[in-house]
Amino acid sequence: MSRKRHRLVPDSFGLKRRREQGQAEADPLRGESGSARAAVAELVQLFPRGLFEDALPPIALRSQVYSLVPDRTAADRQLKELQEQGEIRIIQLGFDLDAHGIIFTEDYRTRVLKACDGRPYAGAVQKFLASVLPACGDLSFQQDQMTQTFGFRDPEITQLVNAGVLTVRDAGSWWLAVPGAGRFIKYFVKGRQAVLGMVRKAKYKELLLSELLGRRAPAAVRLGLTYHVHDLIGAQLVDCVSTTSGTLLRLPET
Amino acid sequence: MLGFLSARQTGLEDPLRLRRAESTRRVLGLELNKDRDIERIHGSGVNTLDIEPVEARYMLSGGSDGVIVLYDLENSSRQPYYTCKAVCSVGRNHPDVHKYSVETVQWYPHDTGMFTSSSFDKTLKVWDTNTLQTADIFNFEETVYSHHMSPVATKHCLVAVGTRGPKVQLCDLKSGSCSHILQGHRQEILAVSWSPRCEYILATASADSRVKLWDVRRASGCLFTLDQHNGKKSQAVESANTAHNGKVNGLCFTSDGLHLLTVGTDNRMRLWNSSNGENTLVNYGKVCNDSRKALKFTVSNGCSSEFVFVPYGSTIAVYTIYSGEQITMLKGHYKSVDCCVFQSHFQELYSGSRDCNILAWVPSLYEPVPDNDEPTTKSQLNPAFEDAWSSSDEEG
Repeated sequence: MSRKRHRLVPDSFGLKRRREQGQAEADPLRGESGSARAAVAELVQLFPRGLFEDALPPIALRSQVYSLVPDRTAADRQLKELQEQGEIRIIQLGFDLDAHGIIFTEDYRTRVLKACDGRPYAGAVQKFLASVLPACGDLSFQQDQMTQTFGFRDPEITQLVNAGVLTVRDAGSWWLAVPGAGRFIKYFVKGRQAVLGMVRKAKYKELLLSELLGRRAPAAVRLGLTYHVHDLIGAQLVDCVSTTSGTLLRLPET
Repeated sequence: MLGFLSARQTGLEDPLRLRRAESTRRVLGLELNKDRDIERIHGSGVNTLDIEPVEARYMLSGGSDGVIVLYDLENSSRQPYYTCKAVCSVGRNHPDVHKYSVETVQWYPHDTGMFTSSSFDKTLKVWDTNTLQTADIFNFEETVYSHHMSPVATKHCLVAVGTRGPKVQLCDLKSGSCSHILQGHRQEILAVSWSPRCEYILATASADSRVKLWDVRRASGCLFTLDQHNGKKSQAVESANTAHNGKVNGLCFTSDGLHLLTVGTDNRMRLWNSSNGENTLVNYGKVCNDSRKALKFTVSNGCSSEFVFVPYGSTIAVYTIYSGEQITMLKGHYKSVDCCVFQSHFQELYSGSRDCNILAWVPSLYEPVPDNDEPTTKSQLNPAFEDAWSSSDEEG
């Protein structure tokens, strides 16, 4: 049983006097504990813009934020506050109901406008960005909300779907989407499997983090090893064990 | 701790604070103790455990072979090494034993004279403890997954039964027949639980990913369905509210009844406000859940920050309820853990698993200081740990 639980509660409840913790291990990834906004800002730096010719806004994932901000409930609350203030948008990435992408609203707006420049649906998209985005911070939109509150007609909604700004969720409801995100999702899913495979092929199914980052990325990993490692740690697809030689990534037994 | 004691003594602080602080400290020190054992009677996996609420002394366990055993948990011997003995059991040669696996057992909430058990053989049996005979049998058309009787009910004696069919049945113990049916779910009902706060509020969890709260006095449907996204409630979308992205396996109200915890096969545990059905969005991380039937987990009672004990594979994961952080994983079972119960008087946890063992997790605080004046008595030592070689230097 781990004794680490005694660090988490105040001294009066602790069984033994806790010793002062030494310096946090000099580990490139795990030393952060800050706010969610700082985490998102750092993660969007990791996004490879050049890969998509700058057509996609930099996307971070919620699981990556969990790896940088260890307290998940606090991270969720801060992300929700940022969403309510309108600084970030949360997008449902299609491959997993739990995976949410986080994009800064400004980046999203500029990229979408650039993508629909000169196309027939530009008018509908601009109307959408101007009226719906600031007003409604949700991930999804309903039929009556779009027609009554915001005054969109059915052909306009079809144009929005063609533009890639909305994706069909259900009869009469749509997810918010990023135009051109399909390539990103394909690279992401392949890269995630490739990095997991690297850990799986290791002896005893565990790898030191520093060794993993030092290896050459396989061809399937286009978004960068650090990007995928943050996501795997935050999604709890690998267990993080702290050892004297740094953090160790181990596949869970189940 | 001395600060708490002196504050209580001088009247600066409420006595409850000291009690809660000490309870929390003891729960944080839970671990497997070599001195505490539970007699092994079951020949197959232990599916359910229940400790009686009156004295917290007797424990019932139900196994996959239909056997029900009653244990006495109290340590009346003077020795630290103690095995909890089975007082009596409903074995395979009992005329009224269940034919298939017993899924849920529960003591009658007001005294230990009666208990109820439900099983895959489509029956709910009401037993008299002293004579160990069935007082009543309720038959159903489908296998019974779970049943629960309200712990605070004074005006009714309803037992809520969740079966393979989508209807929740309420059986009345006084009249001996099913009095109500609650309709609303679409697939099998995996878990039911009455609220410990209000005797008419019932929560049901189903394989169709929905958790519904009912007031049994109301004639029309459920009060509300829990929605994990806390979306805007509109009539068209009401049918799409899901509590989890998979089957909902387990339900547990917190001890004050203000919050409800649910676990689902999407490997998540969620905390809900039970008065308005809002998802409090506390994030516990991945709570592995492979069970195809109900997962029985439990919450602590009487600590300053309440803990939830969830079976996680072959370990038990302990989380603080309101902040979501994982405190520890209790490792000790060999196969997957099916159920656990918390004894709040002594802050002990008992867990039953598929390896036919029931383990007791006891707070380990300080080692008793060996008293140099008394000679060490041999009877203190567990016979399993005594060594057999002679201590003399000569050979043979």
